Amino acid sequence: MNIELEELAKEFGTERALHPVSLFIPSGALISLLGPSGSGKTTLLRILAGLEFPTSGRVRFDGADATGLSVQDRRAGFVFQHYALFRHMTVFENVAYGLRARPRRERPTEAEIGRRVTRLLDLIQLPDIGARYPNQLSGGQRQRVALARALAIEPRMLLLDEPFGALDARVRKELRQGLREIHDNTGLTTVFVTHDQEEAMELADLVVVMSMGRIEQVGKPAEIRARPATEFVRTFTAV
Amino acid sequence: MSDIVLSRPVPVTTEPPLARALLVGLAILFVAIFLFAPLATVFAEALAQGWRGMIAALSLPDAQAAIRMTLSIAVIAVPLNAVFGIAAAWAIAKFDFRGKAFLITLIDLPFSVSPVVAGLMLVLLFGANSSLGVWLMAHDIRIVFAFPGILLATLFVTFPFVARELIPVMIEQGRTEEEAALTLGASGWRTFFTVTLPNIRWALLYGVLLCNARAMGEFGAVAVVSGKIRGETATMPTMVEMFFNEYLSVAAFTLASVLAMLALLTLLLKSLLEWRHADLLAATCRH
Amino acid sequence: MKAALLRAPSPLPGFGLSFGIALAMLSIVVLLPIGALLGRGLMIGPAELWGMVNTRRVWSALALSFRAALIASLFNLVFGLVLAWVLVRYRFWGRRLIDAAVDLPFALPTAVAGIALTALYAPNGPFGQALAPVGLRIAYTETGIWLALVFIGLPFVVRTVQPVIEELDRDIEEASATLGARRSHTLRRVILPTLTPALLTGFALALARSVGEYGSVIFIAGNIPGLTEIAPLLIVIRLEEYNYDAAAAIGIAMLLISFAMLLAINAIQIWSRRRIGLV
Repeated sequence: MNIELEELAKEFGTERALHPVSLFIPSGALISLLGPSGSGKTTLLRILAGLEFPTSGRVRFDGADATGLSVQDRRAGFVFQHYALFRHMTVFENVAYGLRARPRRERPTEAEIGRRVTRLLDLIQLPDIGARYPNQLSGGQRQRVALARALAIEPRMLLLDEPFGALDARVRKELRQGLREIHDNTGLTTVFVTHDQEEAMELADLVVVMSMGRIEQVGKPAEIRARPATEFVRTFTAV
Repeated sequence: MSDIVLSRPVPVTTEPPLARALLVGLAILFVAIFLFAPLATVFAEALAQGWRGMIAALSLPDAQAAIRMTLSIAVIAVPLNAVFGIAAAWAIAKFDFRGKAFLITLIDLPFSVSPVVAGLMLVLLFGANSSLGVWLMAHDIRIVFAFPGILLATLFVTFPFVARELIPVMIEQGRTEEEAALTLGASGWRTFFTVTLPNIRWALLYGVLLCNARAMGEFGAVAVVSGKIRGETATMPTMVEMFFNEYLSVAAFTLASVLAMLALLTLLLKSLLEWRHADLLAATCRH
Repeated sequence: MKAALLRAPSPLPGFGLSFGIALAMLSIVVLLPIGALLGRGLMIGPAELWGMVNTRRVWSALALSFRAALIASLFNLVFGLVLAWVLVRYRFWGRRLIDAAVDLPFALPTAVAGIALTALYAPNGPFGQALAPVGLRIAYTETGIWLALVFIGLPFVVRTVQPVIEELDRDIEEASATLGARRSHTLRRVILPTLTPALLTGFALALARSVGEYGSVIFIAGNIPGLTEIAPLLIVIRLEEYNYDAAAAIGIAMLLISFAMLLAINAIQIWSRRRIGLV
């Protein structure tokens, strides 16, 4: 599914979080929103998810207007920075949550839910942790469970907010590879937010550099390295 | 066009406007019926015969004796509980020893004992019916149906207030500041008065405030222990009961309105403390 | 040597003094009186104690105290949750006033609350008159006791649940929404379970307080033996008859109920801490 942003702006009171920005995300791409804190990258991601609504502008999914579409109806798989796993539910129940939350006539049978959860736990290579609670997992395991939970709803796109932010360096490397594989297997349009330029450059097909609510440059990692469009991009992406 | 104004969808983490209005309405109605109505009644009934009725009621000798009694009890009970609270909190928060959890449970115990049972315990311990009571009587010491009994009953029901407020605050603050003071050569007492006490003063005031409100308002335990002798052992709340049972409604509600004013004052000061010093209080401590 | 085993060494002074003061006061004010009650029970003997508790009047008083406390606490469980939610999540005119007023039952002497409720709900009082045409009598019936106990227990649920709602992670609610859950589903399946330990704790605290309540109840109850006579009142009556043993027997029964509830509260807290790391 491709995503099109048309002159999207967001104000919080008098604060401008996002100046009108436009962007086209091709179907199946793995793209990164890169920028320092306060650059508007997380606001943009949350607007895509339907967690915030733009002050003006349009969002289109495959050409259809989705600006006012409620978060529940968007089917955007969202991975939160601190994973937001449900602490009172087991891993299995967490992953099954989105399926069980569907209205009765769209809800799969319990047997089908069980099969899908098992398949997802296999996909994230943690087949045996279904019965555990989130506080019994390591940081890396939690992140993968959050990913499986987001994938369970058969999302139309995958959105990740600083997916590796809370992890130590070694685990981070490992999970980057994991995200790449999941993206390649599912073919989902994937957008992740990061402030770490190395991470963005290594993982993404396309990098969107942002600063102070504006898009500074959009391009392939190599292009951005070779030809930074502005002074900000040059200093921010300098190793 | 980019300047199309969009209808604002409801934020994700709240309820629909109608549900919100309904819940707020329900909450206000609940508080109005269960809290504000009884409070308003106290003042309305006290003023049933105007200010004159209230002044007349307050000049009754029994009422004045009850006010004196309640004040004297609070003046002694509250400082004693403050000393206990500080001592207990110091021992519990600054040291590690066995049985700490059990000690905290024991301190909290009076909260879950019925005030009437508390009064009963004191009557059984010091009353004429016990061997200790007989011995006390032989030495002409009166505890039950006298001031010391009321004091003990008040101490029992207010026992946890100060300690409970101070313990979490002092645990939170740790002991590094005290250790620093000691390495700088301060004596133990000096460390306490110049380092510890300033850190806990708002929490202490908060605990004292609640302790005082309960000390002046305690009814069940005091009713059992005091014998409710008018002019002698009757406190304000027990005098309220006696006036009320004698159909002296204005007198009962006048005394009650004095207690209600005290309660309102307590709430006001408590709210002020919570708004100003929220970070230094256990009740509102946010981590 | 022994002291070192009981207490970890510390550079701070004053352990002996502070621990001594705390223990001395605890003993005189709390432990000695409790010991006197339990000692009295031992002197009377279990069979005699049982005989004095096992009468119709005592049973109905204990059952009434417990039943009314249970009903009032359940009521407070529901409305306390609503009140706490509204106070934390919504902004409306008078919110701070209501927030401060929630503690009124802690600050207002119980006897004052008792006579005020009686004046309100008595047949000639404003609420009593309004409810009479509907055929509702509140004062001098068991309903009056429920009402007084709702007043007394009101702050407990609100004040235990409020901080937990404040600490709720908005991420969790958003996560639930992105997974397709409607708001009502999120409230039921995500928020309510997270609040359950606090709700149970508040409920148990309100229950413990209400079972032993005396001052606010006796004025509005009517105090008819076997019907609206609560257990603490029966203790007072026995004491006035100089029947100390019978008073002690009821007192011990009530103390045991208190201990059981204290145990339950601790168990809830340990359980919730283990399960989801919440208090």
